[in-house]
Amino acid sequence: MQKRNNYTEIEDFLTDESFQSWVHNNADLENWEEWTLENSMRAKLVEEARLWILAMKVPENNLSSSALQTALVATWSKIEKNENTQKKEIKLWNNNWLRSVAAVLVFGLLASWTYSHLFIPNNSTEIYNKLVNDEGLVEQTNNSNNPQIITLSDGSSVLLQPDSKLSYPKIFVGNERKVYLSGEAFFEISKNRKKPFFVFANEIVTKVVGTSFRIRAYDNQPDIEVLVRTGKVKIQSNKSIPNSKKEEIVLLPNQALRFVRKNSTFNKITDITKDESLVNATNNIEQLSFDFTDIPVSQIFKTIEQAYLVDIDFPESKLKNCHLTTSLNDQPLPQKLKIICKSLGNNTSYEMNGNQIIITSDGCN
Amino acid sequence: MKINSTYYRTTDDSTLWNNLKKGDEKAFSLLFEKYYEHLIRYGNSFSPHAEKVQDCIQDVFADLWLYKNSLNENANVKAYLLSSVRNRIARLQERDHIFRNTTSTDSIQFLFDFSIEHQLIIDENTADKVQQLNKYINLLPSRQKEALYLRYHQGLSVEEIADMLDVNYQSANNLLHRALLNLRKEWNTTIPLLVLLSPGIL
Repeated sequence: MQKRNNYTEIEDFLTDESFQSWVHNNADLENWEEWTLENSMRAKLVEEARLWILAMKVPENNLSSSALQTALVATWSKIEKNENTQKKEIKLWNNNWLRSVAAVLVFGLLASWTYSHLFIPNNSTEIYNKLVNDEGLVEQTNNSNNPQIITLSDGSSVLLQPDSKLSYPKIFVGNERKVYLSGEAFFEISKNRKKPFFVFANEIVTKVVGTSFRIRAYDNQPDIEVLVRTGKVKIQSNKSIPNSKKEEIVLLPNQALRFVRKNSTFNKITDITKDESLVNATNNIEQLSFDFTDIPVSQIFKTIEQAYLVDIDFPESKLKNCHLTTSLNDQPLPQKLKIICKSLGNNTSYEMNGNQIIITSDGCN
Repeated sequence: MKINSTYYRTTDDSTLWNNLKKGDEKAFSLLFEKYYEHLIRYGNSFSPHAEKVQDCIQDVFADLWLYKNSLNENANVKAYLLSSVRNRIARLQERDHIFRNTTSTDSIQFLFDFSIEHQLIIDENTADKVQQLNKYINLLPSRQKEALYLRYHQGLSVEEIADMLDVNYQSANNLLHRALLNLRKEWNTTIPLLVLLSPGIL
């Protein structure tokens, strides 16, 4: 223990663990007593340091272990609650709107049945091509190795996986929003009850009002999967396919559906955690929570970068002290950015170019 | 000089920390059990509302888990937790808007009072001195008291304290030095008999 020979200030002693333990427990493992007595000036310094320690007591802990466990349990349930906040919001939404929505849907279904009877069946297996060719659409193919973000004219965002393509109108017109998918994508649909959103993917049609969900419909695979994260999704066979069944499946958050293409059957999966193929296919965006409580905005941008695999460029020093409390779950990417910019203040705006996002800001309010 | 806490070894912390980052619930629980009480005591020194403090600290841990992917690998766990608790309480006390500039350093007061190690004091002379000193320490400005607490009870480095109190290194050092030096001056003039140091040493 040579370092103590250079001690010249009380501070040096106060931070010395061995010294502290000597004062507190009289555990003189390093011969403090002897060392102190070697030198009278040293002795005075040691004595003063000792007085400091005696005068700066912090009471010992006295929390019982059961109180500690209660606190731990409470914390885990906070975590769970945070992870499930989105579900609760949906429940509320359902309570208020379910009846009217259901009425509209029944009506819509009747109408679409009448319509489908006029359809002439077509034997093509290249369903995607047929579906798309009917309308003049923009087609985007992801040939890269990373997911690609696509923003639709209604503000919805689609994270398109590699080897997948999506066709969509430049601008949605009429009372429906329709897109066509081949491959896999994660959808976050902006809410618009008046204009339901349809995803046509091989043999099935998925209808939503505003939710997030993933569809996996590769041409060369035997089945199609739909997995719902928020909101409510309805799925039925595409009426233009021969032998399609009348069945309609409703999926709630964290439920999934597997459509077996060979015999056109639907298998509903109510516990997605027990389905290995679904679990393995889960992407970043589905695991991350967008519920933020007092989180630095730089952290929020980081989360968005990880979820959408985009780059966000923002004035770090100006936004250094900005914190945000918000729930961005269930919001498409443009909406997320809009909310953040608005919360930061009037001088904040974003610009999106492919997977490059630039935030300009003078700092927060 | 690396200072470890008196009660726990930081080497264990970094292992637990990295396991937590990987999603290890056990590591999370161990860190929770290890630091919860410390944090409660620290949190209570800012606010008389014990329940709110508990809530804040549980929120800090909840966030730790929810944002485990983005935790810094080499963080000093204790400093990180203390600092998170401090920031959270500061913001809670000022919260009304969604956003605000953190002026946390000035918005919360370290209200904690140090007590006396009575059972370690045998003679009356020492008892008097310690009592005087304790009185003066508790009269220090709250930031100086907090700096003392973080330095000598939580074993944080001056850099970590500077970070937490949002001041530069020199200011943090000054906070600590001023606390020690001013106090000694005051102490010495008030009770000349207690002059313990010859000026030559300083």
